[in-house]
This record gives sequence, C-alpha cells and structure tokens, in this order.
Amino acid sequence: MGGPDATSARAAAVSAVASGPRLLGWFRSQTSRRLGFGYLLLTPAAVYVLLLVGAPFLFSLYLALSDATVGEQVAGFIGFENFKSALEMDTFWIAFRNSVTFFVVAAIFKSILGTSLAFLLLQTFRGKKIVRALVVIPFTLPIAVSVLAWKWMYDSQFSVFNWVLSRMGLIGQYGTDSWPVWLGNPRLALIACIGVNVWRTFPFSAIVLLAGFTSVPPEVLDAAKVDGCNFLQRFHNVVVPMIFPILMVGFLFDTVFTLSDLSVVYILTQGGPGNATQILPMLAYQIGIQAGNLGRGAAIALFLVPLLAPAMFLFLRNLKRREY
Amino acid sequence: MARVLTVRQKQTRRYVLIYAGLVPFVVIAVFPIYWMLITAFKQDPDLYRMENIPFWFNLPPTLKHFKILFYQTNYGAWIVNTMTISVWVALITLMTAVPAGYALARLRLPGAENTGIGIFMTYLVPPIILFLPLSRVVASLGLQDSWWALVVVYPTFTIPFCTWLMMGFFKTVPMEMEEAARVDGCGYLSAFLRVVLPVSVPGVLTAVIFAFTLSMQDFLYGLAFVAPGDQKPVPVGVPTELIRGDVYYWGSLMAAALMVGLPVAILYNFFLDRFIQGITGGVGK
Amino acid sequence: MNDGQATMMNPGSVSRRRFLRVAGAGVAGSSLLTMIEARQAPAQIKGSNLRILTWSHFIPAYDTWFDKMAKEWGDQSGVKVRVDHIPHLEIPARMAAEFAAGAGHDILFNGSTILTRIYYKNLVDLTEVYDQVGKKYGGWIPAARSPVEVEGRIYGMPVYYILLPMIWRKDLFDQAGLQAPDTWEQARVAARTLKAKGHPTGIQFSHCNDANLNWRSVLFSFGGSETDPSGENPTIDSKETREALRFAKALFDEGMTPEVFSWDDASDNRYLASGVACWVHDAISAYRTTQETNPTVFQQAHIGLEPAGPGGKRVSTSAPNAFMVWKFSKNVPAAKEFLAHLMDMDKQGMIESTGYNMPFLNDTAKKPMPVIGTDPKLQVLQDFPKIVAFFGYPGPYTTQIQEVANLFVLPDMFTRVARGASVDESVKWGAGEYQRIFAKHKRA
Repeated sequence: MGGPDATSARAAAVSAVASGPRLLGWFRSQTSRRLGFGYLLLTPAAVYVLLLVGAPFLFSLYLALSDATVGEQVAGFIGFENFKSALEMDTFWIAFRNSVTFFVVAAIFKSILGTSLAFLLLQTFRGKKIVRALVVIPFTLPIAVSVLAWKWMYDSQFSVFNWVLSRMGLIGQYGTDSWPVWLGNPRLALIACIGVNVWRTFPFSAIVLLAGFTSVPPEVLDAAKVDGCNFLQRFHNVVVPMIFPILMVGFLFDTVFTLSDLSVVYILTQGGPGNATQILPMLAYQIGIQAGNLGRGAAIALFLVPLLAPAMFLFLRNLKRREY
Repeated sequence: MARVLTVRQKQTRRYVLIYAGLVPFVVIAVFPIYWMLITAFKQDPDLYRMENIPFWFNLPPTLKHFKILFYQTNYGAWIVNTMTISVWVALITLMTAVPAGYALARLRLPGAENTGIGIFMTYLVPPIILFLPLSRVVASLGLQDSWWALVVVYPTFTIPFCTWLMMGFFKTVPMEMEEAARVDGCGYLSAFLRVVLPVSVPGVLTAVIFAFTLSMQDFLYGLAFVAPGDQKPVPVGVPTELIRGDVYYWGSLMAAALMVGLPVAILYNFFLDRFIQGITGGVGK
Repeated sequence: MNDGQATMMNPGSVSRRRFLRVAGAGVAGSSLLTMIEARQAPAQIKGSNLRILTWSHFIPAYDTWFDKMAKEWGDQSGVKVRVDHIPHLEIPARMAAEFAAGAGHDILFNGSTILTRIYYKNLVDLTEVYDQVGKKYGGWIPAARSPVEVEGRIYGMPVYYILLPMIWRKDLFDQAGLQAPDTWEQARVAARTLKAKGHPTGIQFSHCNDANLNWRSVLFSFGGSETDPSGENPTIDSKETREALRFAKALFDEGMTPEVFSWDDASDNRYLASGVACWVHDAISAYRTTQETNPTVFQQAHIGLEPAGPGGKRVSTSAPNAFMVWKFSKNVPAAKEFLAHLMDMDKQGMIESTGYNMPFLNDTAKKPMPVIGTDPKLQVLQDFPKIVAFFGYPGPYTTQIQEVANLFVLPDMFTRVARGASVDESVKWGAGEYQRIFAKHKRA
C-alpha cells in the first residue's frame, strides 16, 4: 500500500477510504467540480475576448467582403471583390513588399542587438542595475510621443544626426547632395522607420533573451562544460533548444506588433515619399478611414491574417508539444 | 606570483570588454532621451538655429515649456487620466487573465490548448478596423467621451498576453503542492487562493506591470473614443493638442513625454527582476 | 431662420448687456452684443445640450474666440454648449467612430477632407439655413456649393477656406534685381537665381495636404484639370498636365534641394522662418509666425497673387472647411441655430483668425475685407476669391476625387518626375490610378 512518497501514500489512503461504490461517485463529482471551477475561472477572459475581439473580428471579416463605406457600414455582400481590387493596386504590392522588408530587416537587427545586449547583461559588473534601467526606457515611453521626438531628429534641416555627422566630416554640408534627408530620400526613409522600430523594441528582445538565458539551469551548462563543449557548442546544442519556447513567444508577439504597427509610419512619413514607406496598415487606414472605403480598407488590413494565422497556430501547437 | 597577476589582468580585460560593449547600447538607447531632456528646457530661438549645438544650451535654459504644459493645456488632467486608466486596466487584466491562466494551465480542461492559442491569435485582428465596432460598444455603454471607455477597451490587448504569461507561470508551480492541499480537504478554489497564488506573486506582478505599460502605448482608441480635452490620456493629448498643423511645440512635447515616461521606466525597472522571472516561468521549462 | 416663430427675450440678457458695457468689452463686445440681440433663440432649445467638434485652428487665438463665442451664444440661448478640438487630420477617424457608434457630437467640422458625400445620407439637410444665410449676406461665392452639395441639396455649412498664396522675400529679390513672381516662370527664374546665392525654394513633394494643394495650383494654372466639369471623367492625361510636370521638374532641378521629398505641411513654414527660402507657396500662417521667430523675414516677406501659368491663367487651390450636423443628433434645432449664428459672426471670425480664414460669403468678401483689407501686405488676398478652386476642379468635389486626394496620387506624379521618371511614364501611371479609382466608384 505505501510507496516511499508521502503524497502518493496519502492519496492511496484517501482512495482506500473512499472505496467501493462510493469511489465512482466521488470521482465523478470531483471531475465536474474541477471542470466547473475551471470554466468559471475562464469565463471573464473568454467573455471579454469573444465580445470585444471575436465579434469585432467577425464584423471586420464581413466588412472585407462587403462594399461598406464609413458612411454606410451595413452594406451589400460582394464576395472577394475587395481583395481582388486590392491585388490589382500597384500601391498594394509596394505596401506588401515594404511590410515584409520592414519586418525582416527589423527582426534581424533586433535579434543581433538583443542577443548581444542580453549576453552583456548576463555578466556581472558594477552598475548593472543602472544600465538595465537605462536600456529599458525606449520601450516604456508612449510610442506616439517617442516617434515624434524621432521626427525632429530626422528633420531635413535640423536633424541632430546630420549635425553630428557633418561636424565629423562624414557627410557634406547642409544643402549639398551628401546631406542625407532621412525622411525624404526613398531609400533612406524606410530604413529610418525601421530604425525607430528597432530602437523601441530591441530592449524587449534583450530582456526576453535574458530571461531565457537565466532560466537554463546551471547544472546543465556545467555538465556540458564538463563534457568538453566549447562556448558555441554549448550555446547551440544546449541553450537554444531550452529557451526556444520563450524565444518563440517573444518573436511571435513582436511579429504581430511590428506588422500591424501604424504609428511609426503615420507620424514620420504618412507612407511617403512616393510610397517608399507605404505599409499595409498605413494603406488600410488611408483607404478605409481617411478615404472612407471601409470594405477595401478592411480587406487590406486583414490581408496578412490568412498568412500569419496558420503559421502562428502551428508554431504555438509545436510549442505546447515541446513542453510535454 | 605570476599567476595572480594574470588572473587580475584577465579580470580587468574582461571588465574593459564588457563596458566597451555596453557603451554603444547605452548610447543608442539613451541618446534620444538625453536629447529630449535638453530640448524640453531649450528656448525656441535656440532650437530653430541650424548652427546651434543640439546637445547643450546655447541660450539659457527655460521652464517656459513646462509652464505651457501645466498652465495652458490639460496636461495635469492627462497624467491623472493616464495613471488612473492604467491602474484600472491592470486590475481588470488581473481579474481576468490570472484565473484564466490558471484554468488553462492546471485544470486539464478539454480544449484548453486550442483556447489558449485562440486567445493569443486575437492579436492578429487589426485595431484600425476593430475601433469601429468597439465604438458602438462604447457608445451603448454610455461611455463615449469619457476615459472609462479606454478602461473597457484596453484589456482587449492586455488580456491575451497576460493570460499566456500566467499560464506559463502556473505551470512552474509543482503539482504536488496543489494535490497536497486538495487532499488535505481544500476545494479547488481554496487550493488556488491559498497555495498557488501566493507562490505566483512574481508572475502576477509581471502581468500587472506589463498591462500597465501596454495601456500607455495606445493612440488610435484614445483618439476615436475620447474627444474632450480633459478626458484624454497623455499619449492622445500630447500629439493632438501640442501640434497645431504648422506648429509643433517641440519643447512642451518633449517635456510631456519625459514626465510620463521616466517614472514608468523607473517603476518598470523595479519590477524587472520579477519580469524576467515571469517570462522565464512563462513558457517552456 | 425662425423669423416666423415667436422669440422670447431672455431675462438674462438685460444684465448681460449691463455686464458687457461695464466690463468695457469695447468695440468687439458691443458688436457681439448687437449680433446676439439680433438673433434671439427660440424657447424650444432652452435647456438642451449642444456638442461641437472642431479642429485645432492654426491660429490659437481663433480657437479662444470660437470657444468664447460658442459659450456666449449658449448662455444667451439657454443651451449648454461644449466645444472639443482635435487636429483636422484626425477628424475622419473620429467621424467614422461616431457614425459606427450612432452617437457623438452634434456638429462636426471637416477641414480639407470634406466627407459630405460619404456621409450625406446621415447628415441633416441644411439647404434652408444655407439659403437664408446666403440671402442675408449677399450670396455665396460660386465655389461654395461644390464641397457640400449632393444631389441638389446642401448637407454642410461652408465656413471658410484657406488660401496658399505666394510668400516671397522682397529683399532677396531686390538684391538680385528680380521682379515680383507674378508668373510661375518668373518664380522659377527667381528660384534659380537665388538658389545660387544660398536661397532656394521648396514645395512639398510628399504625402501631405499642402502637396495636394500646391501642385494642383500649378496644374490648374497651366490649364490642366483633374476631371471634366461633370466630375465623372478624369482628364488628367493631357498636354497641359505634361507641361506642368515638365515645369515642376525644371523648378526642382534649378531651384530646390532634395530635402523637399521629406517635407510635411509645416516644413515650408520652417523653411521660411529659418531665413533660407526665397519664396514659398503657403498659407499666411507661415508669414505670421515669423513675426515671433524671425522678425527680419517678417519685415521683408511679401504676399503675392497666385502666379499665372503660361496662358495667363491663375487658379489657387484651397482647402475648404465646413460644418455638418449628424442626423442622429438629439438637438438639430439648436445646431441649426448655432450655425446660423456662426455665419452671422463671419466678419468677426475672419478678424479673429487674423485674416487666415477666407470667407465664402460675398458680403464679407467685399472689399475692403476685414484685416486683409487694411494690412498693406495682405491686400492682394482680396483678389483671390475670383480665382479660388477646390479639389476636382473644374468638376465638383466628389468621393472619387476625395480618394484620389487621400492617396496623394497627384503629388506622387510630381514626385516621380522630380526623381527622374519621364513625364509620359508619370502621366501614364497617374492616369491609370485615376481611372482605377473612378471605375471603382462607378462599380459601387
């Protein structure tokens, strides 16, 4: 009847007490109580999400398939017309390409910067807390306001970057061709926007990575050391698999936010110059809200969903599998 | 003798490398903030001259922008609104995400896995479309043009992530603790309240601080639902009332940003350790 | 509007009169008083609420006056008035939200982006008020109807429009022996000469409202057009368009720097204030702010008439502004009253805006106009009403044109050319966009 484990002993004792026919009844009510409690706990969140996100999502699906305008938000069903006309739009493909470029380049820089910073923060040194405090600030400032500051930093006349660079002799004087007009040069403008996004979110990447690193039990690392793995091998074969779930969730979270973020482009360039920084959310806003064509705006806004949703679903399922 | 020196040398070299490595990061992160700080105190003629040094004062600093902020705009009201909204949102998120996280993590509900994923996927729905039906919800609750509208709406983007966070956190609580409590005669509820929750305080704090900062990032919902000047939160009030078409009140803009951002950054840091712990327990393990 | 209805003297007005006199409100106060007494509000709107959403005017003093005026009207009519201000660029989003909610403000402002045609089925028909105001004040200028008229009925009250005249530095021109920029060709020569002396010019080649307005002025003055007078068919593909594009390319190459590609609505203001610009094509707010930020520029800058194109034609594209009333408003009578009262204050409003607001009413547009009639530099603005036009010229302001404007198709055409694309390529692209957008709306 008893194993060495006290808990299982007790459990066994309980089941011994509730023996016989009463066992079945007890088990059933236990389960139902568990389920009842569980669903009760789940209800507030589920209700919130269903009512305030789920229902509106269905509404936006409906919009995408209708010819609704801001002035007539209940309108006729037109099937995939909106999607078709979006695909015919020159600007749409530019926006799509820009959105993808934005996301990929930003992700690369964020990983590099985030990883390096995380490594540095792993070390012990004096003033670590202060450094950490400072480095987190870009992430905590309200986005609308910090992007405005960047707008002034990129100004065509008063840009502080240009001021420094020209004083250092790396670029020409104001008025010459080598004075970069950050938000006016189509090649520079997208980079400028990406820069702001990276600046804002690389602290978040670093923190997530740091969390991951610190979660690896030192015994495992030591064991690997003893086994003769060098630093890179340890990193690749031990650390990465263990922190993969954390990385994934952080990555997904960041993906969604970067791809759907409107503020940076809205405040800096409004999609210009000449569509160089046009991205899907900005285009959707211009067409759907400013020009009032809600149906097409919704179609453009929702365009990435069928692409991202299955990918997210698979990733997250995979993640869950790894846990068990 | 020789070995001791080498060790110390190695240490020094290590320190130098670390600090050298850190400098660019700190500069990148902090430089705009420093610049914002200076600009908040600069006189306008100082700012609009191309020859002037951006990093320090060419004309004496002034408190004029702060005065404008507090006496000519509703900034005081905006700050109060922002803080109040964030506190309420954090509370609501707590009340919804923590129980939900526990339910999905520990109670072996059928369909829990997919529900969890489904909740996270709500982030794919674009706010630029969402704000329209939400507007109807807000109006029917009679909350239009009050900051309470934002208290109702912001949890839509804080709950999903916080639920995931709590799910992961609760998974790290040893099963045995709960089972022991329950065998001792506790119902599910008391097991949750008396055993699991106290142990999960770091995770809860993480979720709270995250919800708090996230609710300060929104611009669109605030713009769409709150028009009166004294009801706006800072992220809406600043761009809408400190920019008048042609004229950007840069000094006041920077002052406004810093006064709200820095305290939050400090607060964030206070919880950063917990946050790290929280994410760690968050997924995986 | 309510001539036939019985009006009641508000018992409070007696003490108000005394108050205003005692407070020494002066000329403004007593003329305000006269206006108020001239229009007594009917009893039925007493005790009701009126909520107004308007923009953050570029001239802060105007907003101060507007709020005060609204409150005084409210006190006098027994209506509780609340005025909210948001930037004009954010108003479309706010309108969409209010419409979706079926609730919000009673009166809404539209600036530049006039959405009457999109929402007209849900806006109150203001034809009566519009006609009465017109009758009272000498009629509306011809361009007034277009932004607010749908199928013969009026759904908005045009309040004022905003000009973008020529603002040029007389001192720089004189030094270089140049004439005033009366034609676009002269403007180009001036820019070329003065750029060599470190004073280029700039017009936005970007996604902003001023770009939409400025390049249309160039296009229309060159004889080009966006649509035919019916507004149904895009006519952007024309010889005149090509000429205008060629001109813009030359102007850019000779007289501007590449920074113009990053400019927004405020950049040319800054350019003027920094002392660099030899001329800009911008609203007079740019000129007014230099009074504080760069007094030298303020002294030396002059306002000029819209330059003429090669055929001698002058067209100044302006941003119209209008107020609308939601059908779901719970206080339509008060809203109508307020709008009528606002138009009574037309002259006063123009004064308060320091001449920035250009009137739609002929009486106010009669010379000498308030503020700009007396300021020697601003006198020339009085000649603009004859040449003002809005988006879609010579056709009406339609939904299609609104979308074209919102997507910055025209500025993009000019940007492409400035960046090196051939004129034909750019016209082909632009015409294609116009066709696509117009076709979409025909389908719908």
